[in-house]
Amino acid sequence: MLDYVTSYLHSSLTPGQAGNWLWALVYILVIFAGVSGIVIVMNWGERKALAHMQVRLGPMRVGPHGLMQPIADAIKLLTKEDIMPSEADKPIFWLAPVWVVMIAFSVFIVVPFGPTHAVTDMNIGILFMLGVSSLGVLGIVMAGWASNSHFPLMGALRSSAQMVSYEIAMGLAVVSAIVMTGLGGIGPYGIGSGAGSGTLSMIGIVQAQAQQHVWFIFKFFPVGLVAFFIFAVAMIAETNRAPFDLPEAESELVAGFHTEYSGLRWSLFMLGEYAGMVAVSSIAITLWLGGWLRPFPSTHGPAINIPFLWEHPEQGVVDFAFSFAPALVMLALAFFSFFNAMRMPKHPLLKIQTIGLYAFGLVLAGVGLILLAPPVRDRIQDIFWFVFKIACFMYLYIWYRATWPRYRFDQLMKVGWKVLLPLGLGVLLVTGIIGLGPEIAAWLKGVV
Amino acid sequence: MSIAPLLNKVFMVDLIKGLKVTFKYQHPKEVYTEQYPLERPAIAERYRGLPRLNVNPETGETLCIACNLCATACPEHLIVVQSERNPATKRKEMTSFTLDISRCMFCGLCAEACSTDCLELSQDYEFALYSRDGFIIDRARMERGSEPTVYTR
Repeated sequence: MLDYVTSYLHSSLTPGQAGNWLWALVYILVIFAGVSGIVIVMNWGERKALAHMQVRLGPMRVGPHGLMQPIADAIKLLTKEDIMPSEADKPIFWLAPVWVVMIAFSVFIVVPFGPTHAVTDMNIGILFMLGVSSLGVLGIVMAGWASNSHFPLMGALRSSAQMVSYEIAMGLAVVSAIVMTGLGGIGPYGIGSGAGSGTLSMIGIVQAQAQQHVWFIFKFFPVGLVAFFIFAVAMIAETNRAPFDLPEAESELVAGFHTEYSGLRWSLFMLGEYAGMVAVSSIAITLWLGGWLRPFPSTHGPAINIPFLWEHPEQGVVDFAFSFAPALVMLALAFFSFFNAMRMPKHPLLKIQTIGLYAFGLVLAGVGLILLAPPVRDRIQDIFWFVFKIACFMYLYIWYRATWPRYRFDQLMKVGWKVLLPLGLGVLLVTGIIGLGPEIAAWLKGVV
Repeated sequence: MSIAPLLNKVFMVDLIKGLKVTFKYQHPKEVYTEQYPLERPAIAERYRGLPRLNVNPETGETLCIACNLCATACPEHLIVVQSERNPATKRKEMTSFTLDISRCMFCGLCAEACSTDCLELSQDYEFALYSRDGFIIDRARMERGSEPTVYTR
């Protein structure tokens, strides 16, 4: 038994590939807890960042700067009355939120947080992710149908139309990135120096970026960038976020498909929505932003092997410098909370909150110091960069929501079908032409 | 379509401008919210709040001469002044003064009419109540002036 547990520690495979169910279970639990943690932080962060962009303060009362607000919200939602409309289709009404959460979390099976940090690695990983995540719309349609009410039905209709339109553009952008994995050249414009790996596996896609020494967003610049742009637009539409939040447009449809939901069921929808945001962001990160690779991965040299970096100090000063990034980020956050604790108004009623903020800063600083230790520092690298990129995407989601007004439905369809779809086809075509450039040139020579 | 608006559209210049604006507004100094019970707003000097009856600061006697001009000036007839003549000094003295602030619109006509600067609209704005009973305020309340609510937690 002990052998079974420890044997995995020496393997360089994901637990799913190694066939180790115990570690797979551990990974599933850790990823579930981690994604839920991101959702909790996002709950606070979105309200706070959105408030500051709208020159408000946001939550300030529950804990210092509202840090305990998600907990208060959770207690409120869990103790709320669970209402089911009497005319609702009860089994489907019950199933819809469960379905949304289930789908949102099951895509994380193949998300690679590091070269070995995924539950499993499928050879059709990206296909699995796209397929499963697009099932999420079924939950929304079920919710809209089962509520037996007008606004939810309208929201569900809008949602299904929107998802169908944007999935096509999204798929074309993804295919262009997958084509890039098959082109083996080194660097942004490297063409034809041997075939690449040509893979659909999530880990394989990141490894292809490492081998080609370029994130696919910079491959054949600006082709990769345009493909990423198409995906970035389509992914906001897929997750029903502003400015494409028509299915839950507050000013038009009350709350869209979850109008009739309250309490725990409603919070399940929110959990599913935010988990879905993390999931599509991690697809974008894996395909275009180099997954777990840090910035400037090309300075690694061809033998890229981040998790065992501490055994290879000869790999260079750049790796050494970048290995401090996680600790520095945590220490910066700690400094930020100390700074804000000092700026707190000196008022006897705020004394406990100030102490709490100092304590929070101390915890962050402690985590930062732990991350400075060499073994931890090197082992955390890949996970840190992946989560850091997810955090950037989450911030972008909030930023978009604070800035742009909602699209009208015909504008939404116009963007999807008349802009993104032709653009996606063009990008795919151009990727293929550039990738097959030497072959095409040779063929032309033969003809002439 | 001419070239400049087309480029504007393709590179989403307007959208990026919008993002820039919201990003700038995140600076803490832009926050407009007041933490109300902790920070109290600065009230303008000419703000028309709860009416107040001024007293002579030296003697503590009211400045009111019970001329009834304020009651006459009030468009809603909310002010009732009662007075009686003091036989010793032969002067009218105010015995009671009531004002129904539940219907008062703080127009300030009473304060304008007052000939002795006794009735004045103060800067006090905290007079919400849990029932209608307390809205007819009397002379004592109006002479005490502002009574801000004290929050202990």
